[in-house]
Amino acid sequence: MEPRLACKCTPAVQRIFTLLFFPDNRHRQSIASSERNGAYGRLALRVNTRTIRKLLIANRGEIALRIIRSARVLGIKTIAVYSEADAGAAHVAAADDARLIGPPEPSASYLNIEAIIGAAKAAGADAIHPGYGFLSERPEFARAVEASGMVFVGPPADVMASLGDKVAARRIAVGAGVPVVPGVDTGDLAAAREFASKAGFPILVKAAAGGGGRGMRVVADATGLEAALEAAAREAQAAFGDGRVFLERYLARPRHIEIQILGDHHGDVIALGERECSIQRRHQKIIEESPAPGLSAAMRDRMIDAALKLARAAGYRNAGTAEFLVDGDNFYFLEINARLQVEHPITELRFGRDLVADQLRIAAGDRIDEPLTPRGCAIECRINAEDAAHDFRPAVGRVINLNLPAGPGVRIDTHLGLGAEVSPYYDSLIAKLICFGDDREQARARMIAALGEFSLLGITNTAAFLRDVVASAAFTSADLSTRFLDEHFPHWTNDEADLTTALIAAAMVSGGTLGARPDSAAAANGSRIESAANGARSPWAELAGFELWGRR
Amino acid sequence: MKLKRIGDTREFDVEIIAREGSQVRARIDGVEVTAHLEPVADGSTMIRVADRHVRVFGARLRNAILVGAGPASFEFATVEGRIGAARHGLAAPEVTAPMPGKVLKILVAEGDTVENGQALAVLEAMKMETTLYAEAVATVKKIHVAAGQMVDHGAVIIEFSPAPATPSTNESTAPGA
Repeated sequence: MEPRLACKCTPAVQRIFTLLFFPDNRHRQSIASSERNGAYGRLALRVNTRTIRKLLIANRGEIALRIIRSARVLGIKTIAVYSEADAGAAHVAAADDARLIGPPEPSASYLNIEAIIGAAKAAGADAIHPGYGFLSERPEFARAVEASGMVFVGPPADVMASLGDKVAARRIAVGAGVPVVPGVDTGDLAAAREFASKAGFPILVKAAAGGGGRGMRVVADATGLEAALEAAAREAQAAFGDGRVFLERYLARPRHIEIQILGDHHGDVIALGERECSIQRRHQKIIEESPAPGLSAAMRDRMIDAALKLARAAGYRNAGTAEFLVDGDNFYFLEINARLQVEHPITELRFGRDLVADQLRIAAGDRIDEPLTPRGCAIECRINAEDAAHDFRPAVGRVINLNLPAGPGVRIDTHLGLGAEVSPYYDSLIAKLICFGDDREQARARMIAALGEFSLLGITNTAAFLRDVVASAAFTSADLSTRFLDEHFPHWTNDEADLTTALIAAAMVSGGTLGARPDSAAAANGSRIESAANGARSPWAELAGFELWGRR
Repeated sequence: MKLKRIGDTREFDVEIIAREGSQVRARIDGVEVTAHLEPVADGSTMIRVADRHVRVFGARLRNAILVGAGPASFEFATVEGRIGAARHGLAAPEVTAPMPGKVLKILVAEGDTVENGQALAVLEAMKMETTLYAEAVATVKKIHVAAGQMVDHGAVIIEFSPAPATPSTNESTAPGA
């Protein structure tokens, strides 16, 4: 039964109706979700309603799973899409329906607009959630979704287009009276020289169409200016097909703080506090927290005010994030990310909200609920499939064993399970560990304990590195800037005590006296039957190291 | 046995001297260490060394020994065969992919003579670029892959002719997307 329809009757009538027609367990779940849906109590008031019954999630990994969970709670059916590399992935199993959209390469699958729209139509979807990354900030995708008569769960395509261009976004900010980093909106050499003579060096050259640190260059002095402008333009042209660059004063030690916003179809825009995201590696956030330590209430209010002005000036709708650089008592607008952010859970924990549910309800035409007063502190660590001891080299592999943390205030968003494969095709994010506490110290202590419980065999990952960072004096005292890792963890390596333990274990694995049990490992390798049939030869009996991928 | 961490040059000499019940005596680079082991039902083992007590998982793959010690993950290779030979200048004259990924660029041509430290090829995995460098002077004999091609871990990328000194790979990851 369709929950949106169900909501028009009372929960009692609904239950009778559902039990009559769907007496099995599978639908008992949708009774609960329909009741929950009805309990929101606002559906009858909706104007401009667009019904969402079936949602296609144009993404993979933890975020696809995260979106499926919220949709299910709202009683919405879910459709996963997957590439050939993801046939056995968790999001495929979790969704009500799943469609293969192409080969492993993202350009042929998760970035393939035609294939995704085709899958959505074939599966009868009436809405598409893009998640983050992939097509989430491509206006042409939002347009294609709407043109096919489906709801795009995100901002309007035109708004996305204007915010995606950094120069245009800077102009919107200036027009709204929001401070931007001093700079010039052009890569013209004469204008650049004039700006440099006033502002002084170093100067940052950025690509108008850029993102994720690409097409960005720091210019130390006047002699390097011309070459840097040319190189940045060339790089931007190659990477984004758009060679426009602009200049900004280079801030040596800024903090990165962002404001979560939500806007609806009725012109309401709200802000849900800030997130401190200064701890970054190669312009990629790895630890985020809320509230931002030491941020004064006055400064927070000014930033929230600026974010709301920006959102209104841009005609923003749905979930978005206004990013700022903070330098002393000044803050500067950086960009608006027109999508759900990776680090959204820390806001959810403090505000007691489900931001994906908010997104879906806004997309269906609902009014935004007034936010509750935030409480406590939340910290998120991104666990990546990377070797932190070796320059964060990407790692791939298959999960042989996994132990996930739990406990009060501990949430983990991950698509990993026994046998899950991390392939070289996609992002290295494998799990987000989010810890909540009454205050920062409690959240931090819970994070250290939770990271200590996390263990994953089969994929080299950053959990031990994150634990050392969160436990460090620099993090404890919140000495935060985007240079944090360069300053405090320039050459991290594993603790010698852990290395000693690991070496003993490795020697024992090699000698056949220690190793993964075949029940888990064989399941990961799909060879359970073989090991069971081995009888006396079964590694079960030996509890010893054995060859996981077949005999040597 | 000699072990090294994959991606690292440091070598460790590790010997299990004795095992009595739950107690294991090992020697690491000449220093004796005692560990206490308790098996756990999920296949892991709690190992206590001095005052450290961590959950350890271990498994042997074709070309690596994986160990998870608490949240720390280690990938070891036994130092023998090719790796041992490399130290005596007899390394297999080829550069292999250090991880599965896509070949972005080949920076040399067949017949080129490469310098020590010269960039040879760029691989991409997980939106990050990894450059492969030559570690010695050599001549490019054959290039086995083309830009745009997907390669498996260990796939031969470039073969060198047996030059006076033969290169092996050294990787460093550079920012990508």
